[in-house]
Amino acid sequence: MISSINKDIMPENWYNVVPDLPEPLAPPKDSKSEFSSINLLNKILPREILKQEFTFRRYEKIPDEVIEQYKQIGRPTPLIRAKNLEKFLNYNGKIFYKYEGATATGSHKINTAIPQAYYARNEGVNGVTTETGAGQWGSATALAASLYKLPAQIFMVRISFEQKPLRKTVMNLYNGNVVPSPSNLTEYGRRVLKEHPDTPGTLGIGISEAIEYALDHDYRYMVASVMNVALTHQSVIGQEAKKQLELLGEHADVLIGCVGGGSNFGGFTFPFIPDNPDTEIIATTADEVPKFSKGEYKYDLMDTAGVLPEMRMYSLGADFVPPTIYAGGLRYHGASPSLSLLINKGRIKSDEVTQAEVTEALRIFANTQGIIAAPESGHAIATMLKYVKEHKNDKKTIVVNVSGHGLLDMSIFGDKP
Amino acid sequence: MKNLIPYFTLGYPDNETLMKFLKVIPVNKINYLEFGFPSDNPRYDGPVIRETHKIGNKNFRDDLYDEFFSYFHKNGIKMYSLSYYSDIKPRFSEFIDYLQARNFSGIIIPDLIIDYYSEAKDTIDYLNKNGFEYIPFFSPATPDKIITGISELTDSWIYYGLQPSTGIDIPYELDYTTERINSLLPGREITYGFGIKTEEDIKSLMRNGGSGVAIGTYLEKMLEKDDENGFLEYIDKMRGVLDA
Repeated sequence: MISSINKDIMPENWYNVVPDLPEPLAPPKDSKSEFSSINLLNKILPREILKQEFTFRRYEKIPDEVIEQYKQIGRPTPLIRAKNLEKFLNYNGKIFYKYEGATATGSHKINTAIPQAYYARNEGVNGVTTETGAGQWGSATALAASLYKLPAQIFMVRISFEQKPLRKTVMNLYNGNVVPSPSNLTEYGRRVLKEHPDTPGTLGIGISEAIEYALDHDYRYMVASVMNVALTHQSVIGQEAKKQLELLGEHADVLIGCVGGGSNFGGFTFPFIPDNPDTEIIATTADEVPKFSKGEYKYDLMDTAGVLPEMRMYSLGADFVPPTIYAGGLRYHGASPSLSLLINKGRIKSDEVTQAEVTEALRIFANTQGIIAAPESGHAIATMLKYVKEHKNDKKTIVVNVSGHGLLDMSIFGDKP
Repeated sequence: MKNLIPYFTLGYPDNETLMKFLKVIPVNKINYLEFGFPSDNPRYDGPVIRETHKIGNKNFRDDLYDEFFSYFHKNGIKMYSLSYYSDIKPRFSEFIDYLQARNFSGIIIPDLIIDYYSEAKDTIDYLNKNGFEYIPFFSPATPDKIITGISELTDSWIYYGLQPSTGIDIPYELDYTTERINSLLPGREITYGFGIKTEEDIKSLMRNGGSGVAIGTYLEKMLEKDDENGFLEYIDKMRGVLDA
């Protein structure tokens, strides 16, 4: 295990993939003709975040105060060789996992929540607001806001709010205010509730509510994923993993991660892209949310209300209401533009796994490695198991990003753990 | 002499007003002219220019502007077309013939390398073969290798958009932006556009080696208000800033 024993593992800069993409990233497009939704970003995002969203800098200096907070919440996270799993699978190659579940909030989400709250605090705003699916992002937002003494208003997708009550407790403990979305706190939420009183909610609806709340209360919106700036902040994962592999004298032949909006995946894999052209990279999604195989690569709305700009991405449509799977973080209809472009150009492959495969993968991982991974991360583990089965004799070095723990998501196992 | 490049969408706000402004342009104070051919889907433009395309589309008449094109050509003003590839693709060679017949020097195609990257090389080769300038359009989101690769295909000046679309105000680092493009394309003529508003912006861009600026949104607002005096004063002022 290589973790905090080496102080040089943590990077000093975030890595931005935009200058290294094989083709230009299509710019955001105004979603409505009468006003600029791109200009609207000036009102809802901290200025520095907006600058980082549109920057072409390959490396962005991480502020010292953010580095210190990264250390406080458990960075660098460990890279662990899964020897028990290798043995269980009778695999001739090597399997490593980067464990983001080791952070204070139990997932990678805190990696971008901290800098976003830091820049919001520096601007002296009233507070921060966001949406959350499974609750991992909401927990990270609540903690980051609390660290910088900012109020946090969190809109939690209703189905997750009902399925995962402990997440609400966690967010409350970090001083976050959480409501199920759609909610009565916003005009948009009230409208959705009136038209669809039984809706399970979606991340798109939650985003729309948070944006409206930010505009009405001089709060800043916290970007969970999809937008490039979140992937840039998450690059600490991949940069650490690269360094850890280097210290072990290993080279990643295969990288696997799960994709909701793409932040943990992009953060984990993108730092390998410039100098590892032969590394195979696989993005896993839920079979129930087949954005890469059945979605279209097109301009589409990021949020359901159409307040934010459109992005060119793989999308199932902003009005797509996914089934109520346990991996709430994977229910988003689209994927980050940079990831979508890399998939479209064939640099990154995609895979889909079913809930049954995920549950089985989580069981195997827990039984061999002792880690109860998040349902979202279970998708990456399931793809890794498939990969090992198909490449039994290849002796490849596979690295999987386990983006979070699943200790608050145990209901996926039902009555039979 | 640094280049001042006013932009007009043909047909906006109406042909009468447009022609009135074209008549009074001080040709000794500008270098090039950029004419937007109205698009059905000007997706990489901001709200003001989008509106000019919408109205321009209704008013556009290709028999109406020839005397001005001829006038500007005779006065040594190089003219460039701003056209979306999605609009001109079905009749590309015909459109280039049309422009060349009217003494246009070249074309700016904002969506070519974003939406039709696989067709970019052939398109640029075609333009080169026909002696028509292709003006590469880049933005902060254009990857380094694309900037250098596309620029190698042409000798013309470069149009660098500072913002994701026209008339938008997203914070950016001006010095770092110019440093980056200068280091990727040393010695190349770079004209900046998209969201330039202040004199200070222009001074900084020129101080950092820029060869000129294109002004669109700001001027189109003056056309909309029929503010001829304001327009002339602005051109005069910008000329002064560029020459300072």
